[in-house]
Amino acid sequence: MKRFLPFLGLAAALGLTGCEDVVDLAVPRTAPLLVVDGAVTDQPGPYVVKLTSTAPYFENQATPPVTGARLVLSSSDGPQETLREQRPGVYVSGGTVRGRVGGRYTLAIETAGEHYQAETELRRPLPVDSIRAEYHRDGEPTYTRDGYYIYYYGQEQAGKGDYVRFKVFRNGVLRNEPADLQVRSDDLVDGTYFRGLLLTTNPDRGTPFAKGDRVRVEVEALTADNYYFLNEVRTQLNNGGLFAPPPANVRTNVRNLNANSPQKAVGYFAGYTVRADSLVIR
Amino acid sequence: MSPPVYPFAWLLTASLVLPPAALLAQTAPGRGAGTTAATLRGTLADAAGQPLIGATIVVKALGLGTAADEQGCFALALPAGTHVVTYSFVGYEPRTETLTLAGGPLTRTVQLVAASVSTGEVIVTARRAEDNVQSTEMGVTRLDMKTVRLVPALLGEVDVIRTLLLLPGVSTVGEGAAGFNVRGGGIDQNLILLDDAPVMNSSHLFGLFSIFNPDAVSDIKLVKGGLPAQYGGRLSSLLDVRLKNGNADSLRGSGGIGTVSSRLALDGPIQKGKSAFALAGRRSYADVFLKLVPAQRDNAAYFYDLTGKASFTLGPRDGLYLSGYLGRDVFNFGSSFLSDFGNTLGTVRWSHAFNPRLAVNVTALTSQYDYHLGVPTGTTGFDWQSSILNRTGKVDFTYQRAAGSTLSFGASGTWYTVQPGQVTPTDPASIFQPLQRPDQRATEGAAYLDHEQVFSPRLAGQYGLRLSVFDYRGPGRIAEYAGPDGVQKALVGEQEYGKGDRVKRYANLEPRASLRYTLTAASSLKASYTRTVQNLHLLSNTTASSPLDVWSPSTNNIRPEHADQLALGYFRNFHNNAYEASVEVYGKTLDNQIDYINGANVLLNARLEADLLYGRGRAYGAEFYLRKNNGPLTGWVSYTLSRSERRINGINNNDWYVAKYDKPHNLAVVGSYALTARLALSGAFTYSTGIATTMPDSRFEYQGLIVPNVNGDVRNNYRVPAYHRLDLSATWQQQRNAGRRWQGEWVFSLYNAYGRRNAYSIYLRQNENNPLQTEAVRLSVFGTVLPSVTYNFKF
Repeated sequence: MKRFLPFLGLAAALGLTGCEDVVDLAVPRTAPLLVVDGAVTDQPGPYVVKLTSTAPYFENQATPPVTGARLVLSSSDGPQETLREQRPGVYVSGGTVRGRVGGRYTLAIETAGEHYQAETELRRPLPVDSIRAEYHRDGEPTYTRDGYYIYYYGQEQAGKGDYVRFKVFRNGVLRNEPADLQVRSDDLVDGTYFRGLLLTTNPDRGTPFAKGDRVRVEVEALTADNYYFLNEVRTQLNNGGLFAPPPANVRTNVRNLNANSPQKAVGYFAGYTVRADSLVIR
Repeated sequence: MSPPVYPFAWLLTASLVLPPAALLAQTAPGRGAGTTAATLRGTLADAAGQPLIGATIVVKALGLGTAADEQGCFALALPAGTHVVTYSFVGYEPRTETLTLAGGPLTRTVQLVAASVSTGEVIVTARRAEDNVQSTEMGVTRLDMKTVRLVPALLGEVDVIRTLLLLPGVSTVGEGAAGFNVRGGGIDQNLILLDDAPVMNSSHLFGLFSIFNPDAVSDIKLVKGGLPAQYGGRLSSLLDVRLKNGNADSLRGSGGIGTVSSRLALDGPIQKGKSAFALAGRRSYADVFLKLVPAQRDNAAYFYDLTGKASFTLGPRDGLYLSGYLGRDVFNFGSSFLSDFGNTLGTVRWSHAFNPRLAVNVTALTSQYDYHLGVPTGTTGFDWQSSILNRTGKVDFTYQRAAGSTLSFGASGTWYTVQPGQVTPTDPASIFQPLQRPDQRATEGAAYLDHEQVFSPRLAGQYGLRLSVFDYRGPGRIAEYAGPDGVQKALVGEQEYGKGDRVKRYANLEPRASLRYTLTAASSLKASYTRTVQNLHLLSNTTASSPLDVWSPSTNNIRPEHADQLALGYFRNFHNNAYEASVEVYGKTLDNQIDYINGANVLLNARLEADLLYGRGRAYGAEFYLRKNNGPLTGWVSYTLSRSERRINGINNNDWYVAKYDKPHNLAVVGSYALTARLALSGAFTYSTGIATTMPDSRFEYQGLIVPNVNGDVRNNYRVPAYHRLDLSATWQQQRNAGRRWQGEWVFSLYNAYGRRNAYSIYLRQNENNPLQTEAVRLSVFGTVLPSVTYNFKF
């Protein structure tokens, strides 16, 4: 329901002359930190962990990879393995550790003399009965462009504490603008059957789908902490407007085992189960 | 539960209990006049019988005086003898008479005649000219609506709160932000009273305008320090807004047609000479224009409010007063999204004078703020509502004990009901399930004693003590949280409470004191100490408070906030009170200030109390104020140099950081020039430091998204560029036709006259075309000049 807050901002600007423009900003340079971007899923793998480091905010190029690190992935079921650096900064598993619902997983990272660790677990999935595409015209309530919109159908499982992220792929490409990041909690919808939950809601730039598009929807069931992490990312990336929350760092589940070290890590080592469906719009 | 008491609090508490009689004894022989006490009482009114609220009655030779109350009544204890009494009220010709008081009471009914307007003088104050120097009040600013009307207004909408922002010590986090900040405090730390009823949200249109209809208000008073013990419940200030009484003799009207809204007010007798009503309404009509734009045809955005007061004279010693307010903001997007919010206030007050020296006010009031939003139909259909209700009964006595000694005392009881949020599905097909955060209930009892005393012709003071007992009550399942700061706290226990059961009690003593020492006839030194306690907390995790923000009472997890403030001031008038000047310095400490863990959601969060952080605050500053009250050119210059900081465990590495409303420099220059008897030109310039915010220094990539990061988790490390703005207006009164009551005036105004794009905030985003490129965006609420025309009339 948080998505209604932008409406309020819009209302405040109605008839007024609010305006935005891009400005130059000088920000101090600070020491780089380790960035973790990786996940274990209930799919066969390989599981990928990318290590990079932070870069100055306005340095508009890809952030540098962290190479030569030692990564060990272990499972509550027993097995563990050392990840192989496939390309600079990209570490992959070899198949010894297999994710399963209910399993707990630990990632240990050793780089530049610092030891980091992150834990996660795999939650029960949110089933997908089907996905559908429906045509709507600009001007119908809540629709601002002509085209096809994607809906999810499925049963939310009874019992609170389920969190999901919906990923929508168009012709094999993840729609990945900040406003496309969709995470949901079952707090208000526990046990509901979703009879058409609109997944393509990016109001400004979400070009609707067209005839011939291949659509794939992945439903990732997250841990609560991962949900909060993604929600914070979403908040920080869409935080313009009158009622924006104060800018703040997003959480991380990667910690330096030496709590007194000035070297902290950011990013997230996630664990999620995946259910998916796809269609072609005809 | 004893509150933490700071050393200087002790010091002042000690001085409070010193018997004032000892001080009196030294000065009594100097009084000269007889020792028998007599009382001068009466009423002060204008030619139409309207009470002159705040008009003053002074015996200059003795340094004794008082002010007329809301009914224009006054009582002044004097030694028996012959006295020269001066009655005055700005805007009216002062009147002096010589009276001889024997032992008993003497009653006078005094009418003051409005000062001649032929000189074209515009009068900017409703106070006794030398009041700022001679009263014991400090940190107090009074504004009458005449002054408020002279300040160039945003889109021509005369606004009480926007005018307050031009005064020393008052600031805002941005244009269109709700509320105001006083001496480094939060917007929820202002006690805003509309005829005694507390206002929980003072904003229309999210904060662009305030809920006070200028046609309904008679005068306003802002107290930033030295708060009398009668008032409590908020840390930073008291904003006392008084509604106009109706005219008991004849029907009058006033109104206006503006760019944003139109107003109409009527007042007149209910029963001639005995009772009167005043009713004022207004409605905005931006939505009328919206209908002309095809894409906006189904949208609605408007506000309205209705303010009324009725006063009844029940007899020579009794009066009954009813005041009410009803206002609403409505925002609808077609039929797909509906929302509205507003206040409902009501006050009944009975005032009774037992004898010339003892009077009582008995008041019952109710105040509710609530909002609704939702989607009426479809799979996402829901209705979400939240409210806070305050019901209070209170009794306030004033007793003129002796010459130069007035006691005020009283007690109050308040019942609070907070409905933090309730969601109801509005359609059988809705995916939402009902959700209700349980109501929160609390009661608060308070009692106070305040003594205003003239110790000697040079030294006067006011001191008192307030006791408040706040109980957080059931029914409900009450959770207890504990854990390290900075992360979500863990649930450590839950207990079921029955209806009315006490969950937690907080009792607090609040000493207050202020002293005035007269240096010369035109200058004085003042000092004050104020301790305040706050048991209602606005939970708002955004830069500007939104209408959806929820209030919470103090609970077993949330403790009361305390503030201690010390202030010193030098007051000086020049040129026979034509200019008044003051310098005030203050320092205050605050505790149990609330903040939030990163990413906390304050709405519909059943475990919200686990996401709260608590810490201390400190604020200090110097306020400079120079005001010119008469002549063709009137106005003021106000400059505030200040600092407001917080230290909250779990934020900024547990170190001090500047609050978001910290504004080191804040300057306002307001002037109005009466060019002719009918044409006045006004201008207002403001400059202030930009608000503090957090700016990332670095970024990282996560799943293809660029996420900002600030090393070391620092808070408010960046300043938004400075804010400055010039507003201009011209008021042109139409020629008044002899024999006609209708009088009209045109007000032309330019807001933001040089079109500065003041940054409301700076935020960051990925470039639309190149997601790897990040950019900083300046958001301005008004990026251009806003002209407006308003036509006002009265009859």
